[in-house]
Amino acid sequence: MRFHAAALVLAACLTPPALAIFEDDAYHIDFHHALIGLPKHDATFFQKPYAGSKASLLYTISESQAIGAVNPKDGALVWRQAPSAPQNGTGLLRAGEDQDTAISAFGDHVAAWSASDGRIVWETRVDGATVEDLEILEQEDGITNTDSKDALVLLGNGEVKRLDGRTGRAKWTHHDTSGDTPFQLSTSPTTLFYISLHTQLLGGTKLKVTSLSPITGKKLDSYTLSSESEVSAREHILFAGANTAAPLLAWTDKANKVLKVNIIGTKGVSTFNAPGKAGVEKIVLHAPNRLNSLAHFLVEYQTATGHLAEVYHVDLKKSTVSKAYSLPEIAGRGTFTTTSSDANVYFTRITSDETSVVSSKSHGILGRWPVKASAALAGAHPVHGESEVVVKSGSASAVRSAVLYSNGQWVLIRNGEIAWSRPEFLSSAVSAVWAELPDQEALAHELEAEGHQNVLAAYFHRVKRHIRDLEHLPAWLQTIPSRVLGSLIGKSEDSAIDEIHHDTFGFHKLVIVATAAGQLAALDVGSQGKLIWNIDLSQFAPDTTFTSPSLKALRGYVEIKDPGFDGSLYINSTSGGMLSSETIQVQPRVPPGDEKLIAFSLVAGELKGYLGSDATSEPVWDFTPPNGEKIVSYTARPVDDPVSSIGKVLGDRRVLYKYLNPNLVLVTTIVETAKTASIYLLDSASGSLLHSVTHTDVDIARPIPATISENWFSYSLTVDATSGPSSRGYQLVVAELYESPLPDDRGPLGKQFNSSTLQPSKASGDVAKPYVLSQTYHIPEEISHMTVTQTKQGITSRELLVTLPNSNSIVGIPRAVIDPRRPIGRDPNAQEQSEGLMKYTPMILFDPKWHLNHKYDVAGVKDVITSASGVESTSLIFAYGFDVFGTRVAPSFAFDVLGKGFNKIQMLLTVAALFVGVLFVAPLVGRKQINSLWTIPS
Amino acid sequence: MRTSIFSLAYLATLSAAARFTLHIPQTALVNPSTLPSTTHATLQSSGPPQTAFLTRSNSFIFTNVSAGSYLATVHCREFAFEPLRIDVAVEEAVEGSGEKREVVKAWQTFVGNEWDNKGEARGEGGNGVVVEVKPVGAKYYYQERSGFSPLSFLKNPMILMALFSMVLIFGMPYLMDNMDPETKAEFEEMQKKSPLAGQANPATQLQNFDLASWMAGKTDSGASSRGQSPAPQGKKRG
Repeated sequence: MRFHAAALVLAACLTPPALAIFEDDAYHIDFHHALIGLPKHDATFFQKPYAGSKASLLYTISESQAIGAVNPKDGALVWRQAPSAPQNGTGLLRAGEDQDTAISAFGDHVAAWSASDGRIVWETRVDGATVEDLEILEQEDGITNTDSKDALVLLGNGEVKRLDGRTGRAKWTHHDTSGDTPFQLSTSPTTLFYISLHTQLLGGTKLKVTSLSPITGKKLDSYTLSSESEVSAREHILFAGANTAAPLLAWTDKANKVLKVNIIGTKGVSTFNAPGKAGVEKIVLHAPNRLNSLAHFLVEYQTATGHLAEVYHVDLKKSTVSKAYSLPEIAGRGTFTTTSSDANVYFTRITSDETSVVSSKSHGILGRWPVKASAALAGAHPVHGESEVVVKSGSASAVRSAVLYSNGQWVLIRNGEIAWSRPEFLSSAVSAVWAELPDQEALAHELEAEGHQNVLAAYFHRVKRHIRDLEHLPAWLQTIPSRVLGSLIGKSEDSAIDEIHHDTFGFHKLVIVATAAGQLAALDVGSQGKLIWNIDLSQFAPDTTFTSPSLKALRGYVEIKDPGFDGSLYINSTSGGMLSSETIQVQPRVPPGDEKLIAFSLVAGELKGYLGSDATSEPVWDFTPPNGEKIVSYTARPVDDPVSSIGKVLGDRRVLYKYLNPNLVLVTTIVETAKTASIYLLDSASGSLLHSVTHTDVDIARPIPATISENWFSYSLTVDATSGPSSRGYQLVVAELYESPLPDDRGPLGKQFNSSTLQPSKASGDVAKPYVLSQTYHIPEEISHMTVTQTKQGITSRELLVTLPNSNSIVGIPRAVIDPRRPIGRDPNAQEQSEGLMKYTPMILFDPKWHLNHKYDVAGVKDVITSASGVESTSLIFAYGFDVFGTRVAPSFAFDVLGKGFNKIQMLLTVAALFVGVLFVAPLVGRKQINSLWTIPS
Repeated sequence: MRTSIFSLAYLATLSAAARFTLHIPQTALVNPSTLPSTTHATLQSSGPPQTAFLTRSNSFIFTNVSAGSYLATVHCREFAFEPLRIDVAVEEAVEGSGEKREVVKAWQTFVGNEWDNKGEARGEGGNGVVVEVKPVGAKYYYQERSGFSPLSFLKNPMILMALFSMVLIFGMPYLMDNMDPETKAEFEEMQKKSPLAGQANPATQLQNFDLASWMAGKTDSGASSRGQSPAPQGKKRG
């Protein structure tokens, strides 16, 4: 205990002045899109978080299996929970009426969450099975149990369980041993129906409905519907209506020509023909899911050109289904939502440009709102939605709909106006790159043109360019007063968001993000992550299914490659337009003079280096890890990694020369049986091994992130418990490379004027291997990814950026803390202190002030990319993977930018006061000078 | 060691795995009911860690924990919690009875220490034991901006010295004037006797006081350039 406390105090003392985010900068310089993922249609609903609550929240479970509650007012995330590991099976989310819990199921895990704050109420696991369906038992024998409603789960092995709403314990289990595929559960006020698919030998599937007693789980009855002529796959079953007064079972045939509806519990099947001359592409059935609502439902038919709908009424007494009215076809895509208010049912039709509400009783439109065009939704159509309708005296006075659009935006449309939009498609981002803004690109092109011309032509070109630039002068002069005023009053930040072109500091950089499904979006990191454009790549490559596009930034455009197609797509990085390969000169990196590029790649478990960029030639070197080790990853030094100083000045003014090799590659290998991990440092030009280290007792199932920059590299390991190691937890290793262990010495190559890594034998007889200094620290949490900040010149000290998946954080560890030259076992002497070295401690506790994300909860980060900004002190950071997060850091403080703490008004007042003082003192001084000349010293 | 853990793991597969609860007590530092729902606990030993979310009753419930030695960590956005070592073993309840049951033991543990360096015991018991996990401190993410404040300005020793000498310079003449004539004469006598005293009286000091050079901070150089000026000496004496 004492030791622990001492260690804590020690760590606190030794920590250098933390480079935390200023409280007034937080939420301004950074942004965070807290995402859920694309919401699932059947698991998205408005619900009051507890009985008697005035406002309702919007609950959803996404395709990424995250459960979230969103405030419908502003789209802010109220709470979110995601499983730690991806589960198989689909995610389900249900909430009982007037309950304070939402019950979710994914994989074998069923959990009840507190609806207002997302805490867990109970959780249970169904061992070895996946949950196929989950329903809430709203009524039991026609009586609503308001206290706590039980959950019904259907498992993949044919078991039906009733789980207690308070504890999650199973009240009864019904086991279906027929071997039929379980499909869905449905409840009526008195009976529980279990629907399964009975596959015929001759093809086709029969629907089997088994009714169970909700109280005992005993089988009451069962019947089979002869649907074998239509249903051959699960997708043909449109609906198995849950929790309604008249639970429905609807299916269609392969050609979507016929609609068959069965009222569950009866054996009769009503058959309707699909309307429209054109073929129906898809049929969707929308029905209310409240027990007390009218038994009306809407069938949506999507054709190639438009969509239309028909409304049907169910007569419970006669057990018949009849068509009531139809809604006319509208060109383009749209969707319908169902809302029940008391017993009434309303259908809301949402198209790209209109929202209209009809009652289920008649086709008269109760309310109609044109949807205002929005840049976020340009070219997209509604996919599915959920609505809340307020109907007063026969007309809909307000409607709000949470709609998922085809471009992955989840939008709330309130009376035709877009209240908020959430870019949920970004949750599946797989690749991101930094792109330059148009102004910089244009200037770069001009300068390049000048560089290629002769001196005189270049001079004229330049003068012409400056004259052309003069046309911007009046506009610029006009903006001066407002900018000066804005900067004085402190509102400059807001105006800067719109004016990304007046970006003197280079904080506004575009990030191009590609999602797994082939969506491409550009975000402005300097303007709160504003979406600049958003396109679907499949419009450029119609026959391709994108799986994991990878991006590469080139000047003015991005190159997209995907395993789904050969070749590349080129997209303009500022407009999102497609560029054909003719209009751009695809410039491969051509090495100057007679130098040659060596490219390397991982081929069949070996790292191989090739001359030139084509991997067809004979490899010039290959690296095969010894002893059956498997390469898990490799990291190269960034191409653009400026180093300001070739040496490190010690306290006594001597210099330790850095080992700076642009071709460093760090290779991570593991041996699964021996639980060891090895790190190899290679020179990618020659393929020679510069350094290697092996760690034992490594949990090889956990990630081993690594990064390399300048003359140092870093990696992190998880200690495996099975062999009883002396310590446990997670380790961070940092190593620095120097030319020689001695200061003022440049090692074996010191006297050489030229040297080659390819022919090391010519250089004083030995390969110039670096002198490696390394230190290991215990860290309190696992690291999933690490990278290093980048600045323009590399003068600013670097920060190691580590992603902590457990606390959903990104931490910037200052370089001084992980300096491997920290003295061990003794206090630093005066010289070391002047270098800023602290005594080595075996652990690094992540100071909360190092957290770049401060109070944001940045979940699921897979990659962090950094870029230099326009000023040397600051590095831009962008994290993606699930959430999207961007910020900027100044590891050596913002020494070249005035911070918000600089009070401009105060400065002006001080200057004015000094001026007044001078006016006041000037006569005094004048008199004194005259006196000193004219009086005789006594 | 290796064999013993393997045997423990083997036993664990035979019997039902352990179940225990980490509970956040109400302390002066934190009301656990206000913690965000992102607070969760992980149990790490080998392979992917087991995760438990925060329940309504401010606890984390771990079920199906097989025998072994685990590092339990609570991850919270607002508070730092102490890490725990939790050992799950299957032991005979009564020596020689042959009846085996799970035993869960919890201790404090420390980052950067040997695993055997256990701290205070935090609980011990069979299945369903409740172990308290305490927060050690709040997390402060933000840096204070060292803005201008008049108080911090006044706290500066240089400013304090300057103010003090100002008070002496401006205050002394008034003090002298307000003295009754006898004391004044006595005081002047004393000053004459004192070897340190300058010959000039405070009035001339004030007259010769060089505000501009004082404001420019040129106390020493000003004194040397105008050696005849008694003002700096007077200040030093003050």
